[in-house]
Amino acid sequence: MMISDIESDLKSKFPDSLLNVVSEDRRISLLVKKEELHQILSQLKDIGFNHFSDVTAVDYIADKEFELIYHLWSHREKIRAIVKVRIPREAPTVKSVFDLWTGAQIHEREDHELFGINFEGNPNLSPLFLEDWEEIPPFRKDFDTRKYVKEKYYSGEEGYPVAKG
Amino acid sequence: MIKMGYLSDKFSRTFAPFGILKNLFKKPMTLQFPYESLPPLADYRGRHALDLEKCAGCFICSMICPNKAIWPAEFNGRRYPQVDLGKCCWCQLCEEYCPNEAIKLTPHSMMVTMDKESAILGLGEEGFVPRHK
Amino acid sequence: MDIEEKEIAFLTVPFGPQHPASGHFHALMKVDGETVLELEPHPGYLHRGFEKLMEYRIHPQNCVLADRLDILDPFPCELGYVNAVEKIAGLEVPKRGRYIRIIMTELGRILSHITWIGVLSMVLGFDSANKIAWGDREKIIRLNEMATGGRIYPCYLCVGGARRDISQEFVDETSKALDYLEGQLSFYDYFVFKNETFVMRMEKVGRMTAEEAIDLGATGPNLRACGVDYDVRKDEPYEVYPEVEFNVITREEGDAYARSLCRRGEIAESISIVRQLLNNLPDGAFRIELSPVWAAPEGECYFCLEAARGEKCFHMVSDGSPFPYRVKVRPPSLSHSLVQFPYLVKGNTIADVPAIYWSLDPGPADVDR
Repeated sequence: MMISDIESDLKSKFPDSLLNVVSEDRRISLLVKKEELHQILSQLKDIGFNHFSDVTAVDYIADKEFELIYHLWSHREKIRAIVKVRIPREAPTVKSVFDLWTGAQIHEREDHELFGINFEGNPNLSPLFLEDWEEIPPFRKDFDTRKYVKEKYYSGEEGYPVAKG
Repeated sequence: MIKMGYLSDKFSRTFAPFGILKNLFKKPMTLQFPYESLPPLADYRGRHALDLEKCAGCFICSMICPNKAIWPAEFNGRRYPQVDLGKCCWCQLCEEYCPNEAIKLTPHSMMVTMDKESAILGLGEEGFVPRHK
Repeated sequence: MDIEEKEIAFLTVPFGPQHPASGHFHALMKVDGETVLELEPHPGYLHRGFEKLMEYRIHPQNCVLADRLDILDPFPCELGYVNAVEKIAGLEVPKRGRYIRIIMTELGRILSHITWIGVLSMVLGFDSANKIAWGDREKIIRLNEMATGGRIYPCYLCVGGARRDISQEFVDETSKALDYLEGQLSFYDYFVFKNETFVMRMEKVGRMTAEEAIDLGATGPNLRACGVDYDVRKDEPYEVYPEVEFNVITREEGDAYARSLCRRGEIAESISIVRQLLNNLPDGAFRIELSPVWAAPEGECYFCLEAARGEKCFHMVSDGSPFPYRVKVRPPSLSHSLVQFPYLVKGNTIADVPAIYWSLDPGPADVDR
């Protein structure tokens, strides 16, 4: 199956959700609207994209949005698909893809802990890496790592750092 | 015939590891440290050395250090970089970006101390050495 | 007298992190006698937050810190970061630089697999093979020291090429080391891989079918042992891989023994790749000189490569400043130790748990980053 077949198949099934489609040598990249995200991913799985690589999040604080990026790979056709979607920063919620790919659960759990994005339908969203964390999710752009470290572990002044205690 | 192949396979799998006995007659791989040791090669990344004649006090080394291990200090009225070996990650970026080739990494790699103060390299009467209280 | 059952309770046994069989990883097992019913992993002992730390540092500093993303196999981490930046900027690395990078990467793959043989043997109680493997690692660690100046942490690559050149002495020593390692491979064959006890402990243990493996997100030798031939070096080639010839090792059974044989086959293929590259090494420049505050233009890139453990991908977003806007590393071991491991141990005895865990070859530093 060629990339152009995939493109025309998706364009016929979801005419108003696809905002931008870019096709390269072995990759197809889509920017989609949030409403039909789960159906588009389900359709991609039926076409043959059976390997779920990753789901990442990028914090665009100036636009007040998160961008979620799903990376898929098809073992049969050797094509990579990249699906991007923008969700609002205030109450970020998205439907989980755990029912399509079992391996997606752990990537969503990591994004929930580090960015605060809620995935509905994921069976286990408990903290993965951090223990007793009381601040905002640490990978957001409004969390300053250097200020936090200076105040908690050093005396908080400028100049040569001297450890507390 | 299949049974013969199965038996001979099992026989070789069970007795093959005894071939290790030939290692009894070989020289051992271990070195009795600290009486013998493997010397580091000439361009190993070890402890820093500073040439004060060449140092211009620009502190590019301090700006490029990824772990902020190099900070300015004073000695005899001059400012020079002091290195905190506890924070150093031995990456050699300070040597690569120094414009006068003043700070270099030597192959000296035996650095053990019980005292945190002496992990800071600074200038004293003896040159660029660990500080002691 | 009637005896009635009041309560059934199961014992919870911890697996690590101070256990000699587990590395920096902790898991809680619920056991019924000797059979494991459920396993709950608790990672996070090595979480340093690299992806956030990299947003505060410029590219030369990030290349040096990227080795620590997976210390048992540091070259693909540096290679991925550097290639992602170069693809955004459209930089063309000189030919000698590309050859040097892949020679060191393949030597690192051999080192990672020999370390894996040593740790797997230690965990199964086979101490002799552990000590011999540790002695064989010295050959490659000495080559690392000759080329990069550090034994374990190379700090070797930079945007635009490699930081140091390799000398003729390195080329000669590497050929000698590769001859020695080929002899050692036939030794490991009869001492470890055909050892009756090793075969009995690893055969038919931790079995996965191809559909299960793809659904759980397996990559690397774990997937190739189930019959799926997915190797990023062949499917999406990068650097100089289109110019070398090598085979992709697959097996059909999908159990722990098949995974071990896949890794043993990969050592032989890597030796052949390094030999081909050393024979055709071109002369010339090995680096493009860039200023430390060089900034990549605005853009985004997703670069995938094949590490020793599986498919490792770097997603980089750049906004035109010397600091990257977002760096995300897709670790291959995240699904090995947090998704496949709890799935495969159900129903096995406690003695099989270390064998299954280390046959999947997880890297705890890789899981947590």
